[in-house]
Amino acid sequence: MPDLPPQPTPAPARSPLAKFPPAIRTAHERFLATKNPADLDTVVLAIVLDHQPAHTRTSGEITAPDSARLIADLGFDSLALAEIVFFLEDLYQLTITNEELLRITTVGELHAFVRSKFAAPAAA
Amino acid sequence: MPREVFITGLGFITSIGNDSATVTASLNDGRHGMTAWDYCGNPAVHVKVAAPVRDFTVDSPSWRDWTWPARYDIPRETLRGLAPHGVYAFCAMEQALADAGLARADLTDGGTGLFCASAGSAFMLHHHLAHARASNFERGNPMGVVSSIAGTLNFNLAAHYGITGAVTGFVSACASSSHALGYAIDEIRLGRQQRMIVVGAEELNADTLLPFAPMRALSTNPDPATASRPFDTARDGFVGTGGATVIILEDASLARTRGARAYAELIGWGQASDGHRVATSHPEGAGLREAMRRALRDAAVTPAQIDHVNAHATSTPIGDRAEALALRTVFTEAGAHPAISGTKGLTGHGLSMAGAMEAGFCALALHEGFTPGNPHLLNADPACEGLNLPRESGSIRPRLVLNNSSGFGGSNVCHVLRRAPSSP
Repeated sequence: MPDLPPQPTPAPARSPLAKFPPAIRTAHERFLATKNPADLDTVVLAIVLDHQPAHTRTSGEITAPDSARLIADLGFDSLALAEIVFFLEDLYQLTITNEELLRITTVGELHAFVRSKFAAPAAA
Repeated sequence: MPREVFITGLGFITSIGNDSATVTASLNDGRHGMTAWDYCGNPAVHVKVAAPVRDFTVDSPSWRDWTWPARYDIPRETLRGLAPHGVYAFCAMEQALADAGLARADLTDGGTGLFCASAGSAFMLHHHLAHARASNFERGNPMGVVSSIAGTLNFNLAAHYGITGAVTGFVSACASSSHALGYAIDEIRLGRQQRMIVVGAEELNADTLLPFAPMRALSTNPDPATASRPFDTARDGFVGTGGATVIILEDASLARTRGARAYAELIGWGQASDGHRVATSHPEGAGLREAMRRALRDAAVTPAQIDHVNAHATSTPIGDRAEALALRTVFTEAGAHPAISGTKGLTGHGLSMAGAMEAGFCALALHEGFTPGNPHLLNADPACEGLNLPRESGSIRPRLVLNNSSGFGGSNVCHVLRRAPSSP
């Protein structure tokens, strides 16, 4: 092996939730500790709302019902959906396939899908 | 009668000002934008000066950390696809549109095109690739490509503003936005578009600038007041800058119909290549000489009619000498003595952005009636003998101005601008 010069230490990875409200970061920490799915739902909803386009957002809106369709009601395009998926993958070190993504059309389906990723014993 | 091309809107986010009035004052007063600069926290790096943009924070790869002046409203869905220099470009675009009296709805009928120039964001590309490599490419940010690669400006701005005419980007290094402007002139002259928006932007960070250090192209002079001194015998390289410039061109008949104010008229452009070296100029500036002559011919003006030249003049030993020799051949040997300025002495070198930024300066000079000077020039290189290189800005009102740009591979682009008929 040739001698390698000392390499710079990479900066520690910052949480993707760093700029989210404290309540969301707390729910995330709690979910990691207790695996309570209600906390997971809180984080997923916050991520969805964070990516929602401005033109479908009404002022003061802080939630989206389970029945809300991501594309038809919330105005997402396929790339914005991919961003949500990447955010979740990055946050929870998941892999979400295109086939799985195509089956999700509503906020409720997204909640159920992310919950199922943690429920499945062989998911990893 | 051939179509005339007017400049009807300008937007500047630069090291010497974030609006036309401040930029004009800086050019007039010889106020530079350099400061001591730590690129990467490594004292062994010998590059100590840069010319940063003020009032923006875009040094994080996460758009959530970015800040910009509150008067610009960047929607998050647009912001997520931008590179740091895309934030500059967005703000310069908003500024130029307001300046030209245009709204987003005016850009969507196919009559407006968009030509952009940047090197892309090496910083964002590096970040997104490192992220993807960490999972051996199992995961990656979906916005990684559009926020990183050359073309990021045109992708994002065309989508945000709903521009449906000709949209593309130009890549010729430090001549890129000059190419964009030249071809934008042609789009209008040929009747293909009634309006063209030209955008040049770059970011100032280690990833964009420090790769020029091994080429020995960057100044290692630690004094902000003298690190960039085009045409001076003591010049030792360029100083990096970032920012954005937006220029709105309109068919004169459209501009007149809607009562738009014209800063200047673009009456010709020309380009020619050295065909010589990949990263250094032809020793006598052969390509630039020919590009100047082609631009003058296209504009149907003689060297003696040019009042002012905004030189490319990056403050590198080889490049400035080549340009000086080319200028002597075109002008001095023809008995012409236009006032020549190297405004990179004030702004630093904006790479892909430089040509549009300096064409914008020329438009301001024609509109406001002044010529920028060379305030950092103490001892002119003997290669400049016979050239008129005033230190102070001049109060003569130029009527015809030439703008020079040169890029890697010896690409040279020149524009000729004329004072607009309605200028005071």
